[in-house]
Amino acid sequence: MVVPLNTWVLISNFKLAYNLLRRPDGTFNRHLAEFLDRKVPAKANLVDGVFSFDVLIDRGTSLLSRIYRPATAEEPQPNIAELEKPVTAEVVPVIIFFHGGSFAHSSANSAIYDTLCRRLVRLCKAVVVSVNYRRAPENRYPCAYDDGWTALKWVNSRPWLQSQKDSKVHIYLAGDSSGGNIAHHVALRAIESGIDVLGNILLNPMFGGQERTESEKRLDGKYFVTLRDRDWYWRAYLPEGEDRDHPACNPFGPNGRSLEGIKFPKSLVVVAGLDLIQDWQLAYVEGLKKAGQEVKLLYMEQATIGFYLLPNNCHFHTVMDEISKFVSSDC
Amino acid sequence: MLRYDSTSSSAGSSSGSLSSSSSSSKPPQQDIDGLLAGAGYKVRSSELRQVAQRLERLETAMGNSPADFSQLASDAILYNPSDLACWVDSLLTEFAEPPPTCSSDFIVDPVNNQTVVNSSWTAAEPHTPQVHQNITYDEQQSLDNQLTVVTAMEEDSGIRLVHMLMTCAECVQSGDLSLATSLIDDMQGLLTHVNTVCGIGKVAGHFIDALSRRIFQGMGGGSVNGGSAFENEILYHHFYEACPYLKFAHFTANQAILEAFDGHDCVHVVDFNLMHGLQWPALIQALALRPGGPPLLRLTGIGPPSPDGRDSLREIGLRLAELARSVNVRFAFRGVAASRLEDVKPWMLQVNPKEAVAVNSIMQLHRLLGCEQTRNSPIDTVLSWIRGLNPKIMTVVEQEANHNQPGFLDRFTEALYYYSTMFDSLEACRIQPEKALAEIYIQREIGNV
Repeated sequence: MVVPLNTWVLISNFKLAYNLLRRPDGTFNRHLAEFLDRKVPAKANLVDGVFSFDVLIDRGTSLLSRIYRPATAEEPQPNIAELEKPVTAEVVPVIIFFHGGSFAHSSANSAIYDTLCRRLVRLCKAVVVSVNYRRAPENRYPCAYDDGWTALKWVNSRPWLQSQKDSKVHIYLAGDSSGGNIAHHVALRAIESGIDVLGNILLNPMFGGQERTESEKRLDGKYFVTLRDRDWYWRAYLPEGEDRDHPACNPFGPNGRSLEGIKFPKSLVVVAGLDLIQDWQLAYVEGLKKAGQEVKLLYMEQATIGFYLLPNNCHFHTVMDEISKFVSSDC
Repeated sequence: MLRYDSTSSSAGSSSGSLSSSSSSSKPPQQDIDGLLAGAGYKVRSSELRQVAQRLERLETAMGNSPADFSQLASDAILYNPSDLACWVDSLLTEFAEPPPTCSSDFIVDPVNNQTVVNSSWTAAEPHTPQVHQNITYDEQQSLDNQLTVVTAMEEDSGIRLVHMLMTCAECVQSGDLSLATSLIDDMQGLLTHVNTVCGIGKVAGHFIDALSRRIFQGMGGGSVNGGSAFENEILYHHFYEACPYLKFAHFTANQAILEAFDGHDCVHVVDFNLMHGLQWPALIQALALRPGGPPLLRLTGIGPPSPDGRDSLREIGLRLAELARSVNVRFAFRGVAASRLEDVKPWMLQVNPKEAVAVNSIMQLHRLLGCEQTRNSPIDTVLSWIRGLNPKIMTVVEQEANHNQPGFLDRFTEALYYYSTMFDSLEACRIQPEKALAEIYIQREIGNV
């Protein structure tokens, strides 16, 4: 099994650094984490057709988001005073993105996620809102979901994000790893609220459960990830004393909630064949199907975690194509 | 030896936007892996493989002693994480990893053109703490089809540089100047592949310079440096400011002297090289604050005669006397001008048998170690009259290196290790121009070896 050399170096480096950060007593070396995380500032100038700026969505929780917008024919060079100028196209998808990091690592301004969001903008001709949600273990469940929900409400209420066609914001939720988990739960919250979510895009979403599945046993430690670190992150995120059958972790498990008859958004779920938690991800897909929800599974057999971070493998391009189709099929 | 093709693994990159910013004065950007740069990491494509190998070594080390590893997180001083090569190296050094043995070599699989880690495959036991990584990486450049065993050590340009330096020094010692010259050329070439801003690359550069100067000035001893005494003074001063070594040495010596002088009313310090007298204000002040009051302090400062007719010894002595007066310490100064320590006779120091004597030698004794081991070698002379003074204490500060062996190669090797360490430690110094001037000071010392 091979990955390109630079991908191997990147993911191994993360693995190494993350090992330094997780303490056996469940605490997290946040200072070192912030020092090691490679961050980039927002850029109001166009870089490859995309410009970005940061907004404070909620003062109480210091919730920041980074907004990425494409340059258009009408506005080839954004004016710094008019970053929130209304979108002009008939339909503009707005993707609310939740970065990964197992609920503990990374930020909206992490270089890898800044790059990924910019790609999504160009790919889908979308506005991307990357949410800098509060992280574990300092902020446990349900903080990340609360922040996601706050961001969703905020996005939905921005007049400048409304598509011209129907004066509504066309919202998609997306995320990788823990971000995928957050996307699911925010979509759940949206259901009763009357806010329409047009689709969920889950890249290697982070789910789990008490039971040890076959894929976990088979792939433990083989492809950058170990069960021990997965357990650590769940212990850091879930409320103290809760086990992994908590519905946040295991939405279709013994404590889960049925989605039958509920207007849940259509989902695109990407599963990497070398990800040890794939059995949980596949169970999630099954759970959606059983509840009669629309879901498309992309199973990338030879892919490891993080394959979508660098555009140097075929899985990357396949997935990007599918995402583009998924988002545009509503336009 | 396997050559790495830098055009390999960034193949197929789309127009990834490089939104990361901070530009530094690093070697040419063309060789930097574009995709990793987008992720915030500066790694040269040519170094990717080495970095990967070192990551693997670090992982093994981590598996072997997990306790040390968590210690690492709190204790290690970590370098710039963007410079992945340096960062991984600094962690590896912290770990004091033994050099890799053949069992962790990489074997190129001729069938699949892939590199496979040659770690043993045992059946996974349920309770085993060891995790067997079977994820490998792929080199997409064209490889030879024969089986090649590559050790991590040989791939490392830095290590090659060191080997070449040693070989070159050997040639200089044995007089094979033509081979030495061609080695110099090779090393200059190799320097372009190594990071010369920090680490071995930087030191190697200086050593290569010093070696080539020696070669082209012909065999023969003597100082290879020009530089007026005035220049050297300035450099010394900045070196003192930039590094903590001398300050620390002075501090420690003064502490010891203070303790030795406890209970004595007449004390005499003999300083083997007064220089700017930077060590003594602190001692004078400490004596002033001594419970029971300060003693009578006599300071005899030895130093080279001033070339321009100034009596620099006297000037320094006057300044120290001023300071002593301001803190009410009775003070007397005597300067002894001598170009060589072995020329100093004990009677010049005028030591009173009733006083407590401290002899203070900062970086002076090693100069007395000559090549010849005669009966009355300088070091013996000096040591015997020191004994004659019957001092209460003698404080000695020396470089932690043997720079005086008769063989050039031995001196060279010692110097290489010593000055590499010095340069590494200088990396922590943030103040300019002190740091740059300190480096020049060290450079000249290297030239002198």
